[in-house]
Amino acid sequence: MYQDGSIIVNITEEIQMDLIRLTNVTKSYRTGEVSVPALKGVSVTIQGESFISFIGPSGSGKSTLLNLIGCLDKPTTGTVIVNDVDVSTLDRAAGAAFRSRHIGFVFQNFNLIPVLTVYENVEYPLLMLSHVPLKERRERVLKLLDKVGMHDQKDKYPNQISGGQKQRVAIARALVTDPQIVLADEPTANLDHTTAFNVINIMHEMKKDRGTTFIFSTHDSKIVGEAEILYTLEDGVIVHEEIKNRK
Amino acid sequence: MANLVKIALRNLFRYKRRTLLTSSLITFGVVLVIVFGGLAISFKTQMIGILTNTALGDLQIHRKGYVESIDNLPLNITLSASDLTSVEEKLSNTPQVGAYSPRMKFGAMISNYAQTSNIRLSAVYPEMESKTCPDLVKRIEGDVADPAHFVRPGEILMPENLMKGLSLNVGSEVVLVATNKDGSVNGVTLHIAAMMENVLGPSGKDGYIHIQDAMTLLRMDQPEIVEVAVHFRTFDQLPTMYDKLKKDFGGPASTMEVHTWEQLSPFASIARIVDLLIIVVKVILVSIVLVSILNIMTMSVYERIAEIGTIAAIGTPPRRILLLFLMEGLSMGLLSAAAGTVLGIAILLLLNSTGINFVFGQVNVSLAPTIPGSELIWTILIVIAVSVFASLQPAHKASRMEPVDALGHV
Repeated sequence: MYQDGSIIVNITEEIQMDLIRLTNVTKSYRTGEVSVPALKGVSVTIQGESFISFIGPSGSGKSTLLNLIGCLDKPTTGTVIVNDVDVSTLDRAAGAAFRSRHIGFVFQNFNLIPVLTVYENVEYPLLMLSHVPLKERRERVLKLLDKVGMHDQKDKYPNQISGGQKQRVAIARALVTDPQIVLADEPTANLDHTTAFNVINIMHEMKKDRGTTFIFSTHDSKIVGEAEILYTLEDGVIVHEEIKNRK
Repeated sequence: MANLVKIALRNLFRYKRRTLLTSSLITFGVVLVIVFGGLAISFKTQMIGILTNTALGDLQIHRKGYVESIDNLPLNITLSASDLTSVEEKLSNTPQVGAYSPRMKFGAMISNYAQTSNIRLSAVYPEMESKTCPDLVKRIEGDVADPAHFVRPGEILMPENLMKGLSLNVGSEVVLVATNKDGSVNGVTLHIAAMMENVLGPSGKDGYIHIQDAMTLLRMDQPEIVEVAVHFRTFDQLPTMYDKLKKDFGGPASTMEVHTWEQLSPFASIARIVDLLIIVVKVILVSIVLVSILNIMTMSVYERIAEIGTIAAIGTPPRRILLLFLMEGLSMGLLSAAAGTVLGIAILLLLNSTGINFVFGQVNVSLAPTIPGSELIWTILIVIAVSVFASLQPAHKASRMEPVDALGHV
């Protein structure tokens, strides 16, 4: 344990390479003249094929942590290594290229592109990877849509489907490039109980099928219950780590 | 790229009413440029055609100093015999020259035995004049059986104003009295061959007689030519031929000077104003497109910040985000330009079928408005270029957004 209370977490039950390594990461936001710390020296190591959840009250730093891992933001100090790449050094274009290859995102508000159909939304990340031919794109998209049970809705636009269906499309979109990591920020917050449960199940299946690491920030007890490793954040510090049975 | 275009078009039609309104405004601007341009260019072309093909010729050669005194119609600033010979030789041997016409010009008194007025006369060889100014005969009232002899010795072509003012008819006898360069006054009797629309003078007092009658009236043994009007095979050759003839006859050591119709006719100023108005209308179009596209694209970026954050987060490179918004602006400009072009051409065709007839000065003008293809292409290119330019700032702003900030935007 570091002096400031943060914890170095190593999963040692299985011999796996470190997929994500945060070392003494701090992140502060400036509000006018005031600097507000969101993370205070977090160090955490995450290995592949995990189902991990960060929990904690609002403002504890969960989303900030996910943004740093997702290469959407840069730490004030410390290093963020994802898949052996120090993502804090990547510029805007390199960051986008890195995300398109290695990271998928699932958002609380689904964030589907409204002018694209379900099929096109899922296909979109593949278009960012210039080397995927049309036939392969089609196969991958339809296979995933089938997996998430949205195949028959593929020609509908986001405003023509329900919230649960949107989140299933968002999961398919996050997985279509076959990323090692899927970051999900409160993915079930806008879903009813049954739908949320279905969405979590889909994610579990994907993790098993593809070996994808799912990292959540959540308040949802359903996700918390399903997580293999649970980190609790308070005031920008990891205060508790719980390793549960891996599925 | 096809995917970018697809998304851009769908985004445009996402806000149908706003897109339609903005597009209508740009379309209106394009229609304005095409219809106004068509009318203005046709008017200018027709007026230049009337002036050069009925009176001035494309270009004129005078003795040096003549144009400065042209309002006085001086008879003592004439081309020397040797100059005239060299000019005629040069023009005869220049393939681009379709025809030329030596002229004498002078002022005279005209009388119907009861009333007297003054008249400006052009004394010409009708066979040469009718080739140099091929539309001259069209301005003569009644059928001209032989354009090469539209005025014969003993005849005068009278301008409409004087005919009416002096209550004259075709066949009436008139007396011309003129003073020659030596101060000697003489008169001749002529019969009116026909009445003609006035083209040149604002007061409508330009008449034509045969050069032979002018020599008699002015007591000349040899014709003393004051100007040689030149008609080129195509009007487009004028700038090149002007430079060439100016080099041959208009140099500092030369006793002659060369002028194009533009330097001789006050209509050149009107033509320049017409050109300026066309530019003004194009500037209005540029302003419309600039403001409309800038406005709609700025709104579009502000409304879609979270969406921009999403596409950035899922791996869209900044350059592609820039291109996406540029494509939206371009598509808007292109669609509006296409609609405006179709509508503008349709209006021009309608105007063409109905015809536009009016009197400009004392000249009957019948417009058949058309717009050159190059003008259409320029108009479309302007709209496209301005659309892209106007989209640049919003597109750049979108591409520079930090995904994390954009995603957090409500």
